Amino acid sequence: MNSLIKLELTRALRNRKFLFFSVIYPSVLFLIIAGNADSTTRVPGSDLTLPTYMMVSMASFGALTAVLMGNSERIAKEREGGWIRQLRLTTLPGRGYVLAKTASAAVVSLPSIVIVFAVAAAVKGVTLDAWQWLALTGAIWAGSLVFAALGVALGYLASGDAVRPITMITYFGLSMLGGLWMPTTTFPDWLQAVAKWLPTHAYAALGQAIEQSRAPHVQDLAVLVVSFVLFAGGAAWLYRKDTLKA
Amino acid sequence: MTTTASVVAFDQVSKAYGSVRAVDALTLDLRPGETVALLGPNGAGKSTTLDLLLGLKNPDSGTVRLFGTSPREAIVAGRVGAMLQSGGLMGEVTVAELVRLACDLHPKAHRPSEVLSRAGITQIAGRKVDKLSGGQAQRVRFALATAGDSDLVVLDEPTTGMDVTTRQGFWATMREQADQGRTVLFATHYLEEADAVADRVLVLHRGRLLADGTAAEIKARAGARRISFDLERTIDEAALRALPCLTGIDISGRTVRIQSADADATVHAVYGLGVFPRNLEVAGLGLEQAFVAITTAEEAKSK
Repeated sequence: MNSLIKLELTRALRNRKFLFFSVIYPSVLFLIIAGNADSTTRVPGSDLTLPTYMMVSMASFGALTAVLMGNSERIAKEREGGWIRQLRLTTLPGRGYVLAKTASAAVVSLPSIVIVFAVAAAVKGVTLDAWQWLALTGAIWAGSLVFAALGVALGYLASGDAVRPITMITYFGLSMLGGLWMPTTTFPDWLQAVAKWLPTHAYAALGQAIEQSRAPHVQDLAVLVVSFVLFAGGAAWLYRKDTLKA
Repeated sequence: MTTTASVVAFDQVSKAYGSVRAVDALTLDLRPGETVALLGPNGAGKSTTLDLLLGLKNPDSGTVRLFGTSPREAIVAGRVGAMLQSGGLMGEVTVAELVRLACDLHPKAHRPSEVLSRAGITQIAGRKVDKLSGGQAQRVRFALATAGDSDLVVLDEPTTGMDVTTRQGFWATMREQADQGRTVLFATHYLEEADAVADRVLVLHRGRLLADGTAAEIKARAGARRISFDLERTIDEAALRALPCLTGIDISGRTVRIQSADADATVHAVYGLGVFPRNLEVAGLGLEQAFVAITTAEEAKSK
């Protein structure tokens, strides 16, 4: 299975468009959003400065892009093209394909997180304790698994022409409504009420809790855990259904 | 394992899609070292049979065993290499990388360079998989199927998309596989392919095994000709029905349509009846019609 992970990774690193959008783009977006903010203004409803706040949002957004975008479309395509059938004729265990896809996405998502941090620290002077940097990297990286599972589920759910729009809507919907692009405190009340139940909101809130050196809200943790169980369960169910259909 | 053990054993295997019986109570037995063609028109159930054989689909009833184990166990043991008709390839990687992956995944793998040269794709090893022609992609699939020292090689319509020259080269490669003592099973709808390569031909029609014999036997049965002509005057039908080598006859008014196993002998005998056939036409039966002829003959026999 390691050889498949290696090959998946080679392929991901070779795809410049994918690398740009998942690794470089979040940092660029961070600079655009936080570029003119002075580092003393606080984000409404939070005691974090705008650059500090947006750093976590954009690192989360980058990880989300890396694990969600590539996989759903590739899985749908390879499922229809018959590559998965061909793999089933090898010694690779059934779940090996999905694990390889997830592992390679995780490898791409790490630099996208770290680069946002590096840009935020260098350009916008964001300072945190050493443990906070490490905890942030760990939390955002681990949290991206929730969305990796969602990507796999979408890849097995949608097919052909439908998979791209469905992934896009999910991706932009989760990013915007979850407050990755702008703090949800700028939303109208009813939208805020919706947003706080989204896994992307909980995901960013986890990082912001670390920045504020406080324990994360139980609700955010619960939303992430439940989302993971739902997405991973859904992916497993759809995967099994697809295997029987072959 | 003794030498007489089955490589592939189907026992009363059935698979239906809705009301369509794709494979209907199929029983078959392949022996080590055989090169077997699975012959049938489109929709005969060839691909479903191979899917069942490889464990990609589960039968509704009956059992499929490879080397006395389940298909999956045989694959994990590295005893089966397969090339699917609908076998997609991983995109955005080179041919060499894909072949290396196949070798890494095979418990009894050959060296990647060997696999590439055997499949005749050394020259395109550096090319991206997405940029291949149909015939080149088929050769890559063949390389994946022969990445290791498997005892059974299964190929579903392997020459689809190949031109004539490539096709000939491909069958030469295939024969090498068989000469090394492997059991080779391939599906095709070309009688000529089965004739040129296989030492045993299984004819599949509507999910059932119609015939099982040497290529020559099948060719004789499927090689029937269709003869049609108009009579100048009506003659005794019994005389027409007594013509030699007939496998079927249809007389409507003065028009006679005949299916014959030996058109030369039949036509000669028509002249011998003292009639002069007008608008005489002799044509080969398509494989599909030949199958229908065989089915009709089978059904008549069973009555």
